[in-house]
Amino acid sequence: MRHGKYPFILSFLALPVALYAWLVILPFAQAFQISLTDWSGSSNQFEYIGLDNYVNLFKDDRLVLPALRNTGIILVVLPVVTIGLSLFFAFMLNIGGRSRQGRIEGVRGSRFHKVVFFFPQVLSLAIIGILWKQVYAPENFGGLIAGGLRTLGLPAPVNGFLADKRLVLASVIAVLVWSAVGFYLVFFSSAMASIPRELYEAGIVDGAGRFQTFFKITLPLLWESVQTAWIYLSIIALDVFVLVYMMTPGQGGPDGASEVVGGVIWKYAFKHGEQAFASALGVVLFFAALSLAVVSLRVGRRERIEY
Amino acid sequence: MRKSSAAPNFSRRRLLGTTAAGVAATSLAACATSGGDEDTEAVTVGDDAENPFGVDGSAPLDVVIFDGGFGDEYAVQHQEMYRSAFPDAEIAHLATQAIAETQQTRFAQGEPCDVLDNSGAQQIPMDALVSDGELAELTPLLDAPSYDDPNVTVRETLRDGVLDAGTFNGKVYAMNYVFSAWTIWYDAALFADKGWTPPTTWDEMLALCPDIQAEGIAPWTYAGQHPVYLYDMFLMLAGRHGGVEILKAIDHLEPHAWHQDSVVAAAEAMYGLWEAGYILEGTPGIDHIQSQTAFNDHEAAFIPVGSWLPNEQKGIAPEGFEYAPMGVPHLEGSVQPGLISAGGEEPFVVPEKAANKPGAYEYLRIMLSKQGSQIFGDTVQAATIVKGVELDNLAAQLTDELVSNPDDLFQPRFRFWYTKMDEEVRPALGGLMAGEIDPEQFVDRMQNVADETAEDDGVEKFTHES
Repeated sequence: MRHGKYPFILSFLALPVALYAWLVILPFAQAFQISLTDWSGSSNQFEYIGLDNYVNLFKDDRLVLPALRNTGIILVVLPVVTIGLSLFFAFMLNIGGRSRQGRIEGVRGSRFHKVVFFFPQVLSLAIIGILWKQVYAPENFGGLIAGGLRTLGLPAPVNGFLADKRLVLASVIAVLVWSAVGFYLVFFSSAMASIPRELYEAGIVDGAGRFQTFFKITLPLLWESVQTAWIYLSIIALDVFVLVYMMTPGQGGPDGASEVVGGVIWKYAFKHGEQAFASALGVVLFFAALSLAVVSLRVGRRERIEY
Repeated sequence: MRKSSAAPNFSRRRLLGTTAAGVAATSLAACATSGGDEDTEAVTVGDDAENPFGVDGSAPLDVVIFDGGFGDEYAVQHQEMYRSAFPDAEIAHLATQAIAETQQTRFAQGEPCDVLDNSGAQQIPMDALVSDGELAELTPLLDAPSYDDPNVTVRETLRDGVLDAGTFNGKVYAMNYVFSAWTIWYDAALFADKGWTPPTTWDEMLALCPDIQAEGIAPWTYAGQHPVYLYDMFLMLAGRHGGVEILKAIDHLEPHAWHQDSVVAAAEAMYGLWEAGYILEGTPGIDHIQSQTAFNDHEAAFIPVGSWLPNEQKGIAPEGFEYAPMGVPHLEGSVQPGLISAGGEEPFVVPEKAANKPGAYEYLRIMLSKQGSQIFGDTVQAATIVKGVELDNLAAQLTDELVSNPDDLFQPRFRFWYTKMDEEVRPALGGLMAGEIDPEQFVDRMQNVADETAEDDGVEKFTHES
């Protein structure tokens, strides 16, 4: 078998590697190349201008800098809140229930809850965007939340949530969380299912409450899943675009209050006709995503617990 | 997996390294940004009035139509006219909303279509196309004999001022086919019913507002999420007060243009609507559909929209609703109270590198013929830039009266010339009308971006002078 090793391996690898090179690596390489030019995107003429695009990137306080700031905020808030909530729900639905006759199970109706929480995952982001745009609308235009708050006698933004500079980013993040929690709930649930029940039983016998069970048993054993979720959510956070595009006034407004990096790339590429500048921002985003993945994998590395 | 005892000379790292090197080499040779310059032929106007551009009857024609509010039925009929003149020509017809998505790559490859209706949300930025030299000048078309009468040039068949929108530094690069005006709309039936007179001055309008409110109707609404709907209202208010030169100064990025008295007065007047509570609650948070629905439901009395409003509302307009347009009520002491933002919209362009340029010019000439223009009027109930198209709806006739004086037609252009200004004026106007910034902050902010644009050498500058 040894003499035929290379042709054998190569015959399997050639096609996928070629496809990968053509469809993934080549476009990336081109983005690098384009980012060094002044290409508008609608011409076959361009000149190389060195690193000017990258320098100007960090001088753009109208779009790029607010977008970097907002994406940074989403990058921190989205994973923390989503993972926190879905871990909590998953715990409650699988383990956190009152123990009946010594059996470990979730709260009453946990199956039903799981399905309900998973619902948003079934909807496409575009539909979610339209749905929530209406939910966030001003009270006299059928806004569900503003209307609800007003009925309870609480203050609500007169022009709805999305027209308010202070609330728009939080509103978008809330929708992201809402749509992601269900998936990670199921994800963590299946991970929890593989934790041996004896560990919990032992814990309960020793007098551990729900709080201690969670932090001393569940969380350490789920660490790898949490890490994976963290990376996925970080990538989602860097990619946020559809919701901002669908929901916010001026696709990043009002007045730049919800600009995100993905949206700004799109604006420069297709609305401003500055494809090269957009590519430079894309390259920056690429490296940000890459280093994020590397860092979170390194930092989060822990001893694997065998069970 | 069981580890092989052999030396791992075929490592993952090496494979990746080799691949990357190969990719880097090929990417420089074959990519979207390659493609050579090619010489383009200039089209000249010949003596033959039937075929002034010397169209090769067998050459195929590639037409791309924006499939938006006007649909593409009119274009199909225009193509039949072309086909009857050149039966051998094969016409490729693409109707799409994804203009940039489908056409930008073709420009980048140097193989664009022949006629492009560059409209809609996915419009390829005109300033980029013009500065890249990707568009053909339309002078040959305008100087050619018109389709119906060889003694009259195409230019002479058009309404006044309609070429401005497609003119960049004195050269016409786009034929904006649809004639439209930005006006203030009200329901004539409601006004007659309540005995209200449509106001001509700002003060009359302000005096009427309490009466309107007394009926439980808010005086004003607009598309708060798209403050661009306020652009022409605001600029006409300023232009009417100080004359059209005020607006030209703004378009020309002159220093202190935004601090002219008329501009400040207009900003204060607009802000005053918010201060007085004359704007429908929640307006800054709604889009154009919601604001127009509120207007249809008599929740608000006035709304600034373009002349396409009645056509757009066809089918959903409430029974008995009479859409009537008026110019923005002018301020006390206005020197040009008839000024109105009207002209061509829906730009049709011919790419410089089009394969069949003569055919493209001929196609546009057909569109601008009496028959071609009437086809458009009949299918979508909207006026074209050709004189004398008959429309049988009240709103169109009323709009025609508003735009009857050619000296009063002016389209403020800075938001089309400078994308950065466009991105600034929208939130600034939105903020002004929502009471988030005051008039002083508003004009300062606009003056700032105007100065920045003027100083930026990387931005090609345009003027109204030819």
